[in-house]
Amino acid sequence: MRQSSLCIFYNITMNYRFFPLQSKEEKKADEALLSLPTKIPEPTLKPKTKKAPELPIFERRNWLIHLHYVRKEFNTCKSLIKEQLEETQGMCEYAVYVQGLIKRMEGRIQESLELFQTCSLLNSQSTDNLKQVARSLFLLGRHKAAIDVYNEAAKLSQRDWEVSHNMGICYMYLKMYDKAKESLKHAIQCNRHDLSFIMLGKIFLMEGDLEMAIDVYKRAVEFNPENPELLSTLGLLYLQIGQTQKAFEHLGNALTYDPSNVKAILAAGCMMQQHGDFEVALTKYRIAAAAVPESPPLWNNIGMCFFGKKKYVAAISCLKRANYLAPFDWKILYNLGLVHLTMQQYASAFHFLSAAINLKPKMGQLFMLLAVALTHLEDPDNARQAYEQAVSLEQSDPSVHLNFAIYLYNIGDRKAASHHFSQFEQKLQAQRKDNVNVEIDTE
Amino acid sequence: MSVATDTKPGDTSSDEVDSKWLNAHYDPVASLYTFTTCMALSDLNGDGENKLIIADLGTGSYDMKLKVYKGTSLMSENAIIDLPTGVSTFFMDTNEPRTPAIAVASGPYIYVYKNLRPYFKFTLPPLEVNEVEEQLWNQTREDKIDVRVLREMLDSLRRENTDSSLTVRSLRFLMLDPDQMEAFADLHKHSPMKKQTVITCMDTLKKSMSDDDAISCLVIGTESKDIYILDPEAFTVLAKMTLPSVPVFLSVSGLYDVEFRIVVSGRNGHIYTLKRGSKTAKSCVELGSQPVGLQRVGKNIVVGCMDQTLQCFTTKGKRLWTVYLPSGITSMGLMDHKQRGFKAVLVGLNSCEVHVYRDKYLVNVIKSQDAVTGMQFGRFGREDGALVMTTKGGGLIVKILRRNAVFEERDSSGGPPVAQNQKLNVPKKTKLFVDQTMRERENGTTMHRTFQHDLYRMRLNTARAFVTALDNSLNPISMNPTEPLKLSAQIQGIGPTFKLTVSLQNTSMNTPSLSLIISFQYDDKLYALQKNLIHVPMLIPGLNYNFETLVECLNDKGISDTIKVFVLRQHRAVPIITAVINMPVSESVIVV
Repeated sequence: MRQSSLCIFYNITMNYRFFPLQSKEEKKADEALLSLPTKIPEPTLKPKTKKAPELPIFERRNWLIHLHYVRKEFNTCKSLIKEQLEETQGMCEYAVYVQGLIKRMEGRIQESLELFQTCSLLNSQSTDNLKQVARSLFLLGRHKAAIDVYNEAAKLSQRDWEVSHNMGICYMYLKMYDKAKESLKHAIQCNRHDLSFIMLGKIFLMEGDLEMAIDVYKRAVEFNPENPELLSTLGLLYLQIGQTQKAFEHLGNALTYDPSNVKAILAAGCMMQQHGDFEVALTKYRIAAAAVPESPPLWNNIGMCFFGKKKYVAAISCLKRANYLAPFDWKILYNLGLVHLTMQQYASAFHFLSAAINLKPKMGQLFMLLAVALTHLEDPDNARQAYEQAVSLEQSDPSVHLNFAIYLYNIGDRKAASHHFSQFEQKLQAQRKDNVNVEIDTE
Repeated sequence: MSVATDTKPGDTSSDEVDSKWLNAHYDPVASLYTFTTCMALSDLNGDGENKLIIADLGTGSYDMKLKVYKGTSLMSENAIIDLPTGVSTFFMDTNEPRTPAIAVASGPYIYVYKNLRPYFKFTLPPLEVNEVEEQLWNQTREDKIDVRVLREMLDSLRRENTDSSLTVRSLRFLMLDPDQMEAFADLHKHSPMKKQTVITCMDTLKKSMSDDDAISCLVIGTESKDIYILDPEAFTVLAKMTLPSVPVFLSVSGLYDVEFRIVVSGRNGHIYTLKRGSKTAKSCVELGSQPVGLQRVGKNIVVGCMDQTLQCFTTKGKRLWTVYLPSGITSMGLMDHKQRGFKAVLVGLNSCEVHVYRDKYLVNVIKSQDAVTGMQFGRFGREDGALVMTTKGGGLIVKILRRNAVFEERDSSGGPPVAQNQKLNVPKKTKLFVDQTMRERENGTTMHRTFQHDLYRMRLNTARAFVTALDNSLNPISMNPTEPLKLSAQIQGIGPTFKLTVSLQNTSMNTPSLSLIISFQYDDKLYALQKNLIHVPMLIPGLNYNFETLVECLNDKGISDTIKVFVLRQHRAVPIITAVINMPVSESVIVV
């Protein structure tokens, strides 16, 4: 069937006006070739016909390799590459290139580096080859060498976003922030990719320049208003400088575009909790709990939501899970101590608080809570010591003084009590001046 | 932030999905290895019934075939010599009845079939051959230079020549062993030099009228980074354009004689646009990831990328939207239902689903039996809304759009995610927990005091034990800086005879240990040792020395005891280090 159809091909085309003229001999040779079952024609003809077999070109299967590569069908891809390299004795540049890419994705970076170096030997004029060599070097942590190769690549193609961007990142890891910023800004000029904005923002954050970082992220959001990653990062930054309104706006936007963005959910949930909106926060946390069921901060926040709703048993369950997941996080231990104090389980509270103090020994409020626990455990000497420690460590929170005053009053030391009470009032006044809403229960 | 009260959390439940499509055909063993570009739907015989044309890549190296399906049965099969890159159907003349020709791109050729018969073979215009290279081969033909000289010259040419590579003949020649070179050169030197390239993608472009059956040109992208537009009647090159990268996907719109636009994605992850009259491409989008498919919807470009995103750009290159997909993309197709005026993008995912996106809204999810590698939507047979899909495992699926199916404008994935309605998995607490809480509330102070008391006692006991161990050298690592030794002992066997291995290491940097003895303390009613005393040779720092002795258990009552191993210096009573071995219970002797 196949043979006949191929022969017909030529019989028909003979009559066609554009058919190139062929001698009879050549035609016979051609037919013989085409009817061979294998695609690589073997030099089977006798030399006297003087018709050389057609040589398959090296790049003939590049398109297929590429198609399988972009579909991430790496096994098919690898066997194709192997065949192609056997056929061309390793001279097919693109096959080696894709092999390098796959090796790198499998985490074999050193091997990928060697393959890309082979590529750039085969074709030294290709920027792509140089870029990949540099990228592998970068992944191996050889940032200086990577920068050198990127500089080579920059000579071959000006205004290349990838080169400038990656060079910037190399400089960032070398802690040469000024050069890094310069490269990244150049990259942004070439092409406004989100990634360059994110890295530039990160550098400003590393330098502690919140204002500039926010500025960079703002510009990024302008260019790409639907990237939840950018929006949530910007929201968190606004939260850090205390602009809660703007922070909430951006976090909300992030959640609109990606309702299961864990970062945004946690930040937004935390703000809701601060406003006492525990139900809404809990519904949002449910999404996060499905996505990251083993996140300690998430379970901590869920626990505190239940605490706010006065569901103490659930709160303890969640906080204990958080503590199990992150045993060295003092915030979780602090919350556990607080909840146990509320539950009047002073002995347990003491344990959690002392564990927290061991991890974070410079925190006045922890000592204050410890003192409260000790007071209830009828250990007045240690309680007093804890209070004194708390007062010396905590400068701003007036409640430390208040608690100390009450304690002193209860044990009958009225003079010291009145001293601390006046201190408490002073600090309260100062806070009111700073326009902080303070609500206190007067006894 | 409002709480989403919408109760329908994007649950495109299975029956709702299936209600839009009828399953017409599923053949899991059709053994098709093909892509979207190698599939076409067309009325080949002019009988009003559309056939499915598939260029099958066979095994990937042989058995390549051009298959034509009429309905669900295979109508014809033609062998193809090399791997097919793409298939297009187009009208190449105005003859009646209107039957389209099939163009199969393969290697450097386009095979044109009419009425399913081979009709014409077009060969891509060869690339320019390097002048020096050509001269070299000419001289070889005239026997002016030796093959060795030829080889050297070609090799240096390859090294210095950087912008364009040599012909395959020269490259092959350079690979050969010296003894094969002569024969190779003799065989090839008489044929003319030519440098060929390979077609990487193909599409059609209507020539002067936009009717369905108007004459179309073929648009071809090649490995040499060129785009050719071919005249359908004379098969001459109408236009040639150059790209900065190798083209991968093509999307063509417009009319050749009026105005047209070609959108091409390159292998470097850039998207280029070409217009009528332009010689070189304009870079339009620089993607962060390699495109897996490219479609034009109206004036916008929709690209599926390797990083599981579907992105939309204007032809100017401005990003309009990005959709994050749940799985990797395997193929893309266009769903253009002209009767209903419905245009959407089909995205085949690795998770055996096909998502239908209208703009950025997911309007439908089609579940398939396998990951879809190629698909075509269009008229198949006499049915207008047919979706033909080929799968990774080689299957063929045909689905028909129900006539009453309505795609909602609204995003069916909208609303809060499903997880929001799931209950939080809060760990449960038992009644015991509550009881313990009550107990702690009542007796908190006592509990605390007892605990503190016991804690202090435990600390005291630990400190005491440590001091005793130091005093009696009961520890296995020497605390004496003049005798840096490490001891470990292990017991092997099940009894009654055990093997006791003592390993000793000198942990100092450079001082060897001399004149040491190993001795044992044990209950002599219970155990008998083969060697009671072992003289230790000089210990070289860092090396591990093993000393062995046999221990026999004398008791068969299932009692076990400890054996202490001492390392002593000669003429000194206090051991340097000690190890305590808890002996296992011995198996009794079985008398046979």
